[in-house]
Amino acid sequence: MPIEVKNLTHVYMADTPFESRALNEVSLRIEDGEFVGIIGHTGSGKSTLISHLNALEKSAPGMVWVNGVDLGEKDVDLAKVRRTVGLVFQYPEYQLFEETVAKDIAFGPHNLKLPEEEVQRRVRNAMQQVGLDAKYAERSPFELSGGQKRRVAIAGVLAMEPSILILDEPAAGLDPVGRRDMLDLIASIHDRGVTVVMVSHSMDDVGQLCDRLFVLNHGTIAFSGRPEEVFVHGDELREIGLDVPECTKLADLLRKKGFDMPEGVYRMEDVRNAILEQLGKGGERTC
Amino acid sequence: MLKDITLGQFFPGSSFLHKMDPRMKLILTFALIIIVFVSQGFVGFGLILAFVLLVTLSSGIAFKFLVRGLKPVLFIVLFTFVLNVFFQTGGEVIFKLSFLRITDGGLRMAFFLAARLVLLVICSQLLTLTTSPIALTDGLESLMRPLKRFHFPAHEIAMMMSIALRFIPTLMDEANKIMKAQTARGADFENGNLVQRAKAMVPLLVPLFVGSFRRAEELAMAMEARCYHGGEGRTRMRQLRYGWRDGTAAGVMAALLAAVLLLNYFRVV
Repeated sequence: MPIEVKNLTHVYMADTPFESRALNEVSLRIEDGEFVGIIGHTGSGKSTLISHLNALEKSAPGMVWVNGVDLGEKDVDLAKVRRTVGLVFQYPEYQLFEETVAKDIAFGPHNLKLPEEEVQRRVRNAMQQVGLDAKYAERSPFELSGGQKRRVAIAGVLAMEPSILILDEPAAGLDPVGRRDMLDLIASIHDRGVTVVMVSHSMDDVGQLCDRLFVLNHGTIAFSGRPEEVFVHGDELREIGLDVPECTKLADLLRKKGFDMPEGVYRMEDVRNAILEQLGKGGERTC
Repeated sequence: MLKDITLGQFFPGSSFLHKMDPRMKLILTFALIIIVFVSQGFVGFGLILAFVLLVTLSSGIAFKFLVRGLKPVLFIVLFTFVLNVFFQTGGEVIFKLSFLRITDGGLRMAFFLAARLVLLVICSQLLTLTTSPIALTDGLESLMRPLKRFHFPAHEIAMMMSIALRFIPTLMDEANKIMKAQTARGADFENGNLVQRAKAMVPLLVPLFVGSFRRAEELAMAMEARCYHGGEGRTRMRQLRYGWRDGTAAGVMAALLAAVLLLNYFRVV
């Protein structure tokens, strides 16, 4: 079921000299099963926006709906909202606290007051989903490597079995291999039918994975649409401190040199095929 | 909920008091506190109160800040006042009800004690409101330097204080983030009885401690990378220097002390 945001405005420290407008009249709709990317520069309002989607920040009524439930209503069932919408914050590995990996992952399900067998099933399931071997279950999370810790933290959210998963910069601070693994992991979660919202400032990451993008700038949505629709605005994106994926950049440069390259291409293989076509050798040959 | 905690209540400004040397401010605050305790009569207290009000006015600090700082000690002040009114004896009995007696001596004593407590808090507040935490630790370090002869770690203590002050906002920020993350996992920090709420703090405190240790390690490494090796032979960017303000302030304070001592000597009440 969808997420709907209508004219959401959020002001921090209202009515003080420190007042700042984090979100200004933001409206968006995310359908079931979509993989949506939210991109924006630091301070563009991304984190505030996702906090609203899980009622961590309270909005006025009539602004945010998840599965038809208005999160601004006073008597909204917060436990149910948080079971439906899983939120993985930036650097989630810093929230681990239990003695063992299994206990930490079980924290969410225990808070839902599920029976013990169900909790254990979910823990095993979540560990498997994030690719953690069962042998880690009884290890201390503080002994693990950075990437593994992050997997444990994500498993802790997946164990709530949310139908919508929101991740804030899930690949931040990982090495290139860890980064690729993390993105593959998120793609596999999406393949299981979970609606995924990924916040990032890496155009390459969102271009690779997302069906649809929202570009935030100073609390408003600057661009939205399919990646190819967004990435044609290379100059405007650069103006607000963002960029286009590396291969789009290459295609744009070639077009400026007079080659016939399609606009808004963002997949490595599409760009490669277009270049090969230009070379007059057909796109079939692998290089 | 964590936003309510305000610390390091420094109030920037450019008044006489703000521009004084922190060392002199520390010494004179201490002197003023001694004067408050030496004073014995209403005239003396009136004099001190007038002085404190004058200083506050000149510093440009709103009275409401001072009043706000008094709130936490209000209970203690009232408690000691009541205790003294009923249990101090001496002088004429004014009021009597079975075993309760109020004497004029007790009443005076109670009043003086309450006045001393209030003035004590106001004096120390004037110090922290007009001195930045960094200047304060610099001043403390400088004043504690003579104690080094007795192997007192003056520099280390001052450094610890500045680091602690610097990390308070960082830790608050971190605590807020972790709280949000655990709330998203269904943690409940607000409801439940005392035991449940204490237990609910574990998922917040453990990551906070782990984070602090990590930060401490990183900071130690960064300091060592920049050749930090303690206070020995270390020069400072901001040199503390006494100026005309400090001399004037010391003179005024000496005059106040002399006045209070004279009042005591001639038993003016």
